[in-house]
Amino acid sequence: MASRVFVTGMGVISAIGDSLAANRKALVRKESGIGYSGPANSRYVGVIPFGSVTFSNAELMEHTGIYDAGVSRTTLLAAHAFRQAIQDAGLLLSEATSGGAASGCTTLLTATDTALIGATTVGGMCLTDELYRDTNGGAQGSGYLASYDGASVQQYLQNRYGLSGLVTTINTACSSSANAIQYGGRLIRNGLVRRAIVGGVDSLAKYTINGFNALQILAPAACKPFDEHRQGLNLGEGAGFLVLEREEDLAGKKVYAELRGSCNVNDAYHASSLSPDGEGPFLAMQGALRSAGLDASAIGYINAHGTGTENNDASESQAMIRIFGTPPAFASTKSSTGHTLGASGAIEAIYSILDLFYQEAYPSVNFSTPIPETGLRPLTEFKPMKLEHVLSNSFGFGGNCTSLVFSVAPARLAKVI
Amino acid sequence: METAQLKERLKAQIIEFLNLSSTTPADIADDQPLFGEGLGLDSIDSLELIVLLNREYGIVIKDPKEGRKVLVDVNTMVDYITQHRTK
Amino acid sequence: MLYIHHTTCISPQPRLVGGEEASALAGGEGRGTAAGPVNGVYKVVEPGYPGIPPNTLRRMSKAVRLGVGAAMPLIRQERIDGILIGTGNGGMEESVKFLRQIVDYSEGMLAPGNFVQGIPNAIASQIGLSGHLRGYNSTYIHRGLGFEHALIDASMLISEHPGTHYLVGGVDEVSGYHYRIELADGWYKTTVTPGLSLYDYDSPGSIAGEGAALFLVSGESADAVAAIKGIETFHSTDQHIVATRLRAFLARHLPAGSQPGQQLSGSPALYLSGENGDNRALPFYSACAAVLDPAVPVVRYKHLCGEYPTASAFAVWLALQLAPPQPLPQHILFYNNHKLTQHSFILLERFR
Repeated sequence: MASRVFVTGMGVISAIGDSLAANRKALVRKESGIGYSGPANSRYVGVIPFGSVTFSNAELMEHTGIYDAGVSRTTLLAAHAFRQAIQDAGLLLSEATSGGAASGCTTLLTATDTALIGATTVGGMCLTDELYRDTNGGAQGSGYLASYDGASVQQYLQNRYGLSGLVTTINTACSSSANAIQYGGRLIRNGLVRRAIVGGVDSLAKYTINGFNALQILAPAACKPFDEHRQGLNLGEGAGFLVLEREEDLAGKKVYAELRGSCNVNDAYHASSLSPDGEGPFLAMQGALRSAGLDASAIGYINAHGTGTENNDASESQAMIRIFGTPPAFASTKSSTGHTLGASGAIEAIYSILDLFYQEAYPSVNFSTPIPETGLRPLTEFKPMKLEHVLSNSFGFGGNCTSLVFSVAPARLAKVI
Repeated sequence: METAQLKERLKAQIIEFLNLSSTTPADIADDQPLFGEGLGLDSIDSLELIVLLNREYGIVIKDPKEGRKVLVDVNTMVDYITQHRTK
Repeated sequence: MLYIHHTTCISPQPRLVGGEEASALAGGEGRGTAAGPVNGVYKVVEPGYPGIPPNTLRRMSKAVRLGVGAAMPLIRQERIDGILIGTGNGGMEESVKFLRQIVDYSEGMLAPGNFVQGIPNAIASQIGLSGHLRGYNSTYIHRGLGFEHALIDASMLISEHPGTHYLVGGVDEVSGYHYRIELADGWYKTTVTPGLSLYDYDSPGSIAGEGAALFLVSGESADAVAAIKGIETFHSTDQHIVATRLRAFLARHLPAGSQPGQQLSGSPALYLSGENGDNRALPFYSACAAVLDPAVPVVRYKHLCGEYPTASAFAVWLALQLAPPQPLPQHILFYNNHKLTQHSFILLERFR
């Protein structure tokens, strides 16, 4: 019998806050983090809105205590959320010294049965100008030669915290960290590890800003997911990490929720857009419900992918209608954080878990008019709500669609029913 | 530039820009649809062609609806280039 | 248990098709017949891709082309329930082309094709798109361990969903941009002579390579070529830790009982070593060799494919091409070291 998997620690940083408490507060108050700051080296900053983390790199260094050379903003954001998560789960016993393992002795964090599964799409590509120079060649490298890829983030965390178990990095575009959560959960269920720290990160980068701009899917104003007059997405940045543990190891621990089900599928329709009938999103949600052993009617709330693009919201709406008939309460928290790409699956999993933990549902902002073909209206006001099971959707370029189901922790169940 | 010359030049540019390496300008008829059953281009290709018009002819198309009217076939593109080119 | 049924490979060795010839090339007797590096890089010899429509092919980056090209023969063999691809470099060349557009056109109007094709998951997703495969689809980008993590995922999927089949592989391209970055970081030798003399250099750095090796796997033993019996990946800078973990790995996956005459663990019949001519990596390979019975034959392969993050996928493919010694089944151990810090062990049992 495979172990059930629970969430025992979380850490998050986004445009709406640098901690669980700060993010929750902003979600409850409908405070959006979309504004006009962003990476200083892009000409679009000040022109189109972004969901940027208010800290500069220097401030992030101060918060994380990381001053090593060659560390990108992406890694700094990841380290911030990672440290919160392991602290929250009681895995951080002593702060590591920079550049090496914490100590000689083995702790739960450094044990070989603790995995780290991270996800990112930008990785060190936020170092656009350095990378440009290094690809031109020359005798002298920039000092960031080993920092450009996605693995550099996990490599750094592994070194800093002395992790010795399985460490990997997944990139399935905007569903990356949902797949990291799924992979970690399945490593536990398959008995390959005892605990997994899972999550994702992306920083706002000239690279992705221009990529999404070239695809003409960046909104000129604050994004309006599921609105008839939506004009595209706002890019955001942030990181989210979760600690997953087996049911057998929960004694005496704070338990946020159960990772009850998950499903990864491919839409197999187009390199950068979803099928009009939402086949991939449909199969992902259906498969996640099946793996959770739940009927669609059991889902009380959906944290939708809801990017605010013409294509995503139409496709996802169709898929929700196909699964649920009349969908339950749903919202896109990307209207508050922007689309954090590889981090969005983890950040929104964390919001979904907070929904369950506090028995409340976080709304979309900026919505006014439903899409005529679907008539769907996301939740637009914060609402305390009895919730047993929530669904979190993440869909990415290349048709990579993943849905996760989280369920209320047993100790909290009594309060729900 | 003569229209015929412009058409030939545009076809060569389309082939190069979209990496249609197995196609020659002679393979593209002036009225062959660029999308769907014709040349088989897709939505990303249409964005690439808008960039081509910008870089080669100084034309800025911001409204995707206008893009759809322009990017029908080589004839419609050449008409638009003739009227709107800035270089 | 994960069983391998079919394999394909696009590598710098187009003549390497199996049996005696493969054994000769890998063993060195056929030193003169192995294709060597071109301008210091082992480049794949690309096939004509007859199965990929020209309108699809033209949009693909090289990495995507290699992956889809290697996948096409396999996706016709069997119903595929998922695609799992490891790639260290992804579509680096396309990404850098897009980056250069950003700089050259000062963030003006940019063509998005390079951006879309440069995303590392484009390989697995284009295989899905080409074969209309709507199942599981994932991409592992953890440098030298992506292929191993894809294999681990496939083994989990097989135990979770009995009766399913997966396409698993490692795909990497080498581009000029990437080459320059790695060269500046000290990972390549500036001059190297082809063939087995790669292993005779007492200097840092290896030689660049690329390739795509794909495997059709399932939980069914019938007609299988081989089974994966164990995979382990970890990070360390200490060769003693590597040796200790190899001993534990063998004791766990190849216990003494399975091979007669051994004490703590059984002995593999063959060892495929990822040695790459970088003298900084040699202590790790020596430490592993010292764990094994000195009689275990060693096959090195990076003089055939060059060094790249998912070269261990080429190694697994190569091991299945070598002329089968008797008796079978035979246990084959793979150890690969990537950039001195990432380590992987794979234990494979070959049936045919």
